[in-house]
Amino acid sequence: MSTVQVAEPKPRLIVPQSVRGAGVSLLGLAVGAGIWELIGRRTQASSFAPFSKTMAALWGMTTSGELPHALESSLQLFGAGLGFAILVGFFLGLLLARIRVLRTGLEPYIAMLYATPMVALIPFILSLFGFEFRAKVIVVTLFGLWPILINTLEGARSVNAELLEVARSYRSSEPKLWWHVIIPYTLPYTMTGVRQGIARSLVGMLASEFLLAASGLGNLILTYTQRFDTAHVLAAVLTITLLATALMAVGRAIENYFARWKAGV
Amino acid sequence: MSAIPQEAALPRTFTLPAGVQRAAMRVATGVALLVLWEVLVRWLAPAFVARPTTVARAIPDVLAQRNVPPGTPTFWGSAEETVLAALEGMVIGVAAGVLVGLTMGRLRTADRLLRFYVSAFFAMPIIAMVPVMELWFGYDWRVRLTIVSLGAFLPVCLNVYDGTRKLPAHYVEVAESYHARWWNVWFGIALPASLPYLLAGFRLAVGRVLVGAVIAEYIANLKGLGSFILFDARTFHQPEMMVAVLFLALLGVAVNAAADLATRRLLPWYRRAE
Amino acid sequence: MSTRSDGGARIAIDGVAKEFGGLRVFENIDLEIGEREIVSIVGPSGCGKTTLLRCIDGLVRPTRGEIRIDGNKVTEPPRGVAVVFQQFGLFPWKTVYENVAYGLRLAGASKEQIRESVPRHIELVGLSGFEKAYPYQLSGGMQQRTGLARALATEPHVLLMDEPFASIDAQTREILQFELLRIWESRPTSMVFVTHSIEEAVLMGDRVVVLRGRPSSVYEVIETGLPRPRTREVLSSPRFNEVREHVWSRLMHEAEQAERELQEVR
Repeated sequence: MSTVQVAEPKPRLIVPQSVRGAGVSLLGLAVGAGIWELIGRRTQASSFAPFSKTMAALWGMTTSGELPHALESSLQLFGAGLGFAILVGFFLGLLLARIRVLRTGLEPYIAMLYATPMVALIPFILSLFGFEFRAKVIVVTLFGLWPILINTLEGARSVNAELLEVARSYRSSEPKLWWHVIIPYTLPYTMTGVRQGIARSLVGMLASEFLLAASGLGNLILTYTQRFDTAHVLAAVLTITLLATALMAVGRAIENYFARWKAGV
Repeated sequence: MSAIPQEAALPRTFTLPAGVQRAAMRVATGVALLVLWEVLVRWLAPAFVARPTTVARAIPDVLAQRNVPPGTPTFWGSAEETVLAALEGMVIGVAAGVLVGLTMGRLRTADRLLRFYVSAFFAMPIIAMVPVMELWFGYDWRVRLTIVSLGAFLPVCLNVYDGTRKLPAHYVEVAESYHARWWNVWFGIALPASLPYLLAGFRLAVGRVLVGAVIAEYIANLKGLGSFILFDARTFHQPEMMVAVLFLALLGVAVNAAADLATRRLLPWYRRAE
Repeated sequence: MSTRSDGGARIAIDGVAKEFGGLRVFENIDLEIGEREIVSIVGPSGCGKTTLLRCIDGLVRPTRGEIRIDGNKVTEPPRGVAVVFQQFGLFPWKTVYENVAYGLRLAGASKEQIRESVPRHIELVGLSGFEKAYPYQLSGGMQQRTGLARALATEPHVLLMDEPFASIDAQTREILQFELLRIWESRPTSMVFVTHSIEEAVLMGDRVVVLRGRPSSVYEVIETGLPRPRTREVLSSPRFNEVREHVWSRLMHEAEQAERELQEVR
């Protein structure tokens, strides 16, 4: 080691990069809330409410139990719909990856349904299944299914041929081949699809709450809009935004968990 | 070795070319699906529910706009409204998305100020805003334009941002060694390097724009395919309604196919680069 | 910068040091590079030779000292200086033609200039017929030929070579070394050639600069004294071997010392 002493730089107040970044982000949020407050105060109450009144409405709806109740109802719908979408998407995806005839035959129609704006089918679903919970779950499932199905299919088809040969050379049975090789390889792809499916299913949830039997957060928005009570409407929209952000974060965490072996690839 | 040409010269069993086989399989599957739909609806659902046969019969009438009672929306007029609104939204959303995405990707302060908002709006279903927007704009085309523009803006913005963030540092270094100014780096380096991301965002945007347009038309009761569908559904004209649904599906497929073609034509370097 | 249309420029490096955070990479670098001179810089990995090159191009600011090219202090990438990068730095979305044209376009060259200059430089590096190819369609050697053509197309007085042949297979590397020497003979510029290959440093350079120490500084400058134009015969000449062994012993000493220090720490 060199013995030459270099003058140390004078100690300054050094703010770590991450802290400063968080500071700027917080500033952004504060500025946003401030602008919201200002616009809200300068517009009519029937079209926009300031941040403070929205917070008050949020608090009021929470303590009265109105918001928790609506949230629970919406989450039930969302959970059931997305759950079906994951089940169907995952197993159908694996099946299609395995059975070539089925895959070749169905691929163009799956791509077409993926590209179809599913809202357009809601009246058709209504005529077949009514407008209660069952129909709404089908809508949510139809929104969320396609990216899960397509990503699973793609993942299961891209399993490295060498890995399949390794399994064969170790005399793996077909079920063990799936359990040890194909499914773990496919899951990260499925989870990427699930993350997209979460966002789409949320749209499906709201669309079905708006257009079929009104319920949950969608009903909250519709009811308070009719009363021109913008503070409560914005509070419900804010709740949905926070819910969506949280669900996306959970989705990303799950995706990272299943893809943890991929870090080095 | 000499056995190989002999073997090749042997008469082979006749097989169809792979492409023809595939097409045949697809047509067969399609027919099977249609039959399934026809049988199930006939068997289980009321008579007014759309079936392939009734939809097929409705197609010429709808496209030629025959037998349209006064006061009902016409198909092509509705389609024009929806397609134009979607197009406007795409133009506004993609342009703004590229600009904001580039800015967030290149300027750290912009990133920190805006990231939360963009990702929160991206995650949330924008259609939650439709009722509020009715209070702002009334039952008005502005509701739809705002929804479709936001629907296009958010995925494009986030994808371009992502692509710009992942821009390899040595591209910037090369550019700077050739005296590139900031706009050369943004639009000459960061933008083309992010084009694959932009295209992925574009595909997401198309889906969101169509959904947004139809929902806005449903809820705000605007002229367009959404209200065409709703009107036919309420008056028990389901086959006519399904023609519009089919049109929207084909529109989505066509735009995606066009995006694919554009990727192959304009970005031949993309798949194998890096 | 200078307005001469050909020939080299004089680079003066004066007491330059660079620190990243608290890490001192090199210090007290004094070096003069004459017009139409090729100076090779060798040193162990991590000695900062690439960083020094980036300082000369103004991509990185030195912490202390200054660098002048033809008397003008370098604060940003100067005109008339071109870099050839180790990872080629080709834009994957541009064809060979467009990559070669890049420097000219940014310099605001006219369409006629570009149409005249780009094919000429593509031919100079032996890539005629590949104008429309994308980088992914080219081998590493051909990609670096493109990188070289892009640098030469700006008609630089100074060429900065950042381990240009390090990511290319051995055979192609040798071909490119002599091709670069041939091109340089037809259009001599000042050149700084950073490499970790001792053979390459001796083959290319009029002088070889050995960087050593932590932080590193100039340990020795060796005149190769090899004749120009350089051909393959040089590789088997006694003088080439003598210089190579000399540089090798200098760097070897460093490597051994580093290992000993490491053991003392343990």
